[in-house]
Order: sequence, then C-alpha cells, then structure tokens
Amino acid sequence: MNTSPPCLEVRHLSKTFHEGRRQVAALQDVSFAAYPGEFITIIGPSGSGKSTLFNIITGLVEPNSGEVLVRCGDERRKRGRVGYMPQRDLLLPWRTVLGNVILGPELDGRSKREARRRARELMPLFGLEGFEDAYPDALSGGMRQRAALLRTFLTEREILLLDEPFGALDALTRRELQRWLLGIWQRFRKTILFITHDVEEAIFLGDRVLVFSPRPGRVVMERRVPLARPRLPAQRLSNELLALEAELFAALGVAPGRE
Amino acid sequence: MRVEMRDVLDALRAAILAGLAAALLVSVVAGALVFYSEARAVGDRSLAHIFPAPRAVYQSWQQHRARLLQEHIPETLWETVSGLAIAVLLGVSIAALMDFVPLLRWLLYPILVISQTVPVFAIAILLILLFGFGSGPKIAVVVLFCFFPVALSTFSGLQSADPELLALLRAMGASARQVWFKARLPAAMPSFFAGLRIAATYSVVGAIFGEYITAQRGLGVFLKRSYSSYRLDQAYLAILITAALSVLLVVLVNLVERLVLRWYYTARRSSWRGTGIY
Repeated sequence: MNTSPPCLEVRHLSKTFHEGRRQVAALQDVSFAAYPGEFITIIGPSGSGKSTLFNIITGLVEPNSGEVLVRCGDERRKRGRVGYMPQRDLLLPWRTVLGNVILGPELDGRSKREARRRARELMPLFGLEGFEDAYPDALSGGMRQRAALLRTFLTEREILLLDEPFGALDALTRRELQRWLLGIWQRFRKTILFITHDVEEAIFLGDRVLVFSPRPGRVVMERRVPLARPRLPAQRLSNELLALEAELFAALGVAPGRE
Repeated sequence: MRVEMRDVLDALRAAILAGLAAALLVSVVAGALVFYSEARAVGDRSLAHIFPAPRAVYQSWQQHRARLLQEHIPETLWETVSGLAIAVLLGVSIAALMDFVPLLRWLLYPILVISQTVPVFAIAILLILLFGFGSGPKIAVVVLFCFFPVALSTFSGLQSADPELLALLRAMGASARQVWFKARLPAAMPSFFAGLRIAATYSVVGAIFGEYITAQRGLGVFLKRSYSSYRLDQAYLAILITAALSVLLVVLVNLVERLVLRWYYTARRSSWRGTGIY
C-alpha cells in the first residue's frame, strides 16, 4: 500500500484558539499520511482536537503552523478539496432527499440532471429508494445519516472525512450501518478518515487506527488492524482484536498521564 | 378505513367552533330583536342611527354599490397591494443588506428600531400633508406601516441560519453567494412569512388611515364622509368591507406560504390543513 504516494499528508499541524484572554491549544504537532483507498479511524477523548483537524483539512480553519497536502484533489482550491460529513447530518430541511444529495455537484456547477440521474441510481444502495421526494424530517435517524453519506459520496471527492457519523444512532442501527459503510467503501475505493469515540468501531472499520491524546491533541499511538477484508461480524470477537482493543484503551487511558 | 386520533380531534374542534359560532349568531340576533322592539315601543328612533339594523347596512350597500365597487374599493386595494409590495421589496432588501454587511447592520439596526418609536400615525399625517391628495402618499403610508415587520422578521430569519450548516457549505467549496441563496435565504422564509402576515393585516389599516386624513377616493374617505354625515349604517358597511379585505389578504398570504413552505408544514404539522387564519 505504501508504494503509491499518499493521497493526503498532514505535516506538523498545530492550532491554538484564543477564547477571550485564554489560549486553548487544540492540536500540537500532528502528522500522518493517508494512502489511496485507505480507511483510517481516529479515536480520542472529547476535546482532543479531532474535529479541529477536520476543519483544518477542509480549509475552514487556518492552522498556526504546519500544512495539509491534498494530492487527490484540486490543489488550486482552498476549500472543497475533500468530501466532509459532520457529526450532525445537516440535511437542508427545505429540500427533498434527492435535492439534498445532489448539493455537491450543484455547488461545483456540474450538471444537475446528470447528478440527479446518478443519485437515483445509488438510492437503492443507500437504502433510500422510494424516499427521493421525502423531506428529511420524515426520515428516521439511520436514513438521515445514509442520506448525508450519499451527499458526501456524490461530491465525487477522493478523500472523505467522516466525523462520528454514527455517534447519535442506537447500537443496532450503528452496527448495521458500519457493515454497510464497509460495503460502500469497498465498492467505491475512497480514502476515508473516520472519527469515532468507540474503540470497537475504530477497529472493525479501520485499516489503521490513530489514537489522539486529550487537549492538546497529538497522535499518541498508531496501529494497523490485523484483519482481512472483507470483514465479518464474527471477527469482532477474535483474541487478536481483543488484545488490540485493550492496547488502544490503555493508550486512551494513559494519555493524560503523559502530559 | 382507519380513523386516527388526530382526525377525531379535528372533527371535535370543528364541532366546538361551529357550536360557538352558532351560539354567538343566535344571541346577537336575539339581542338585536329585543333591543329594536323595545326601542320602537318607547318611540326612540335615535338608537337606530347608532346601531343601524343589518337591513339598513344592506340597504346602504345597495345604494352605494356602484361607487364602492368602481371607485372606493379598487382605490383602496390598489394602495394596499402596491404599498405592501413595495414594503416587501424594501424590507427584504434592507434585511439582506444588513445580513451581508456588518457595518450596515451596525448602522441601520438602531435606526430601524428608533424609527418605530416615533408614532407611525404622526409621520403618516405629515406625509399626507406634504404630498397631498393622490394615491402616492397613501401608498407611502402603507409602506411605512408594513416595512418594519417585514424587514425585522426577514433579518432575524436570515440570522437564524444554522452556523454549522453554513460551515458545511463552505467546507464543500460553496461561494458566499451560494451559501446565501442555498442556505441563508431558504432558512429565513418561515420568519419572512410570519412578518408578511403581520404586514398584510397592517396594510389595509394603513391605506384606510391615509385616505381618512384626506383623499378623493377610497374606503377611508367613504368612512369619513359617513361619519361626518352621521350615516352610521354606511360606516358599518365600510368597516365590514375593510375587515373582509384584510381577511382576504391574510388568507392569500397563507395560501402562498403553504405552497412555498410545503417542507415546513409537512415537518411541523404532519397534515396539510388547508388555508385559513391560523
């Protein structure tokens, strides 16, 4: 996998926010690379700067130092180089599902008709068939997340940033969507960065797991997940994984002590 | 066929409203009958001037129908509708400017609010005295009445757009223009319509008030002449027509709102309850 150049490179990122007279260090010297088609999961306690990292990669926030190199994307643009799905689905309530998912191509100025055609094609895969003309308020939580994911996929970006997409869902829906997401990812071969609070989710989904420390966020551990693809639910329980899980929990636990 | 709880409640509400309306009607009619028979018994006819019988009102309608329909009502409607239209254009533009340019927000917002502390009636009279008899000054009065609720509610609607949503659009590479038209403006629509509904009820009052001060045509001047000649049957007629025009306008606004904000009403209330004065 490391033979091809990285799709995304994050180099020595640091960011400090000023809240009144207080200074809050959100990120400190964060570096990593994502290779084409890789699924990277990022775990860390709340307030470890994970969302700030995403905001810097999308171009919403300027870092104090360091840089983000997006090789799989339009390098001339400052924003809109990656697909981004925030924690809340943020569907536009005044648009139907179809109108929502074609937002990406629409903002790019691409043909809306073509985008609609492609969206209709993908509706069954995203479990939204028959809901094209429904308003978001009529959808269940799981469906809203799938609609938001379809919107993110339809941006046609190589790199997708998913910020705790399943955080607000119940455990059953969540497992179902995890497996479904892996299926989608295998089909489209995107490079995915996936933030989560859930160690088990991080292992089940990721090729690699990055562990962030509490504020200021740093990468305190990086582990490759020794699991073959495609992944099966039964693999969640293997001894090897349980050991990795324990290791990641330990990294999350000791991280504050390393200040 | 399944009968849902909501339908039952709707039917119950309709029954209660119909019952109340019927009771009101019966008591008014019965009260009026008693009142007139007693007045007639003592031979006092002046009461009939203060409380004209519905028949007298109807007779005055027949008497003045041609002039009302050809002159007064069209004049008032014209002033109302064009004033309201100008107020909407002006109000939305000012709200958009304040939303776009922080400096203008900082400058205009206090002026807007202070302008409302001066009694609108005082300014309206000045306007009429300055600009005279034509329909122009009346339209200006309507604008004066309606502009503020439209501007303020549209502005707060524009400001109410979800900041995270705006950030998402920018992260997706949207230009400032795109963010405004695809997120801020649609998010402001429910608030805009709330303001428009208020403005619609004010607009008829504004036109009548403008005409009342001085005019050649319009319901306001008809009302004024009725009072000065002590023809209260005509005055009641004018009041009824004014109310009817206001209701018509509000119903029209609601109709447009429900068409434009279909998403809002399907979300907030799961059924479409038709147009009405909710």
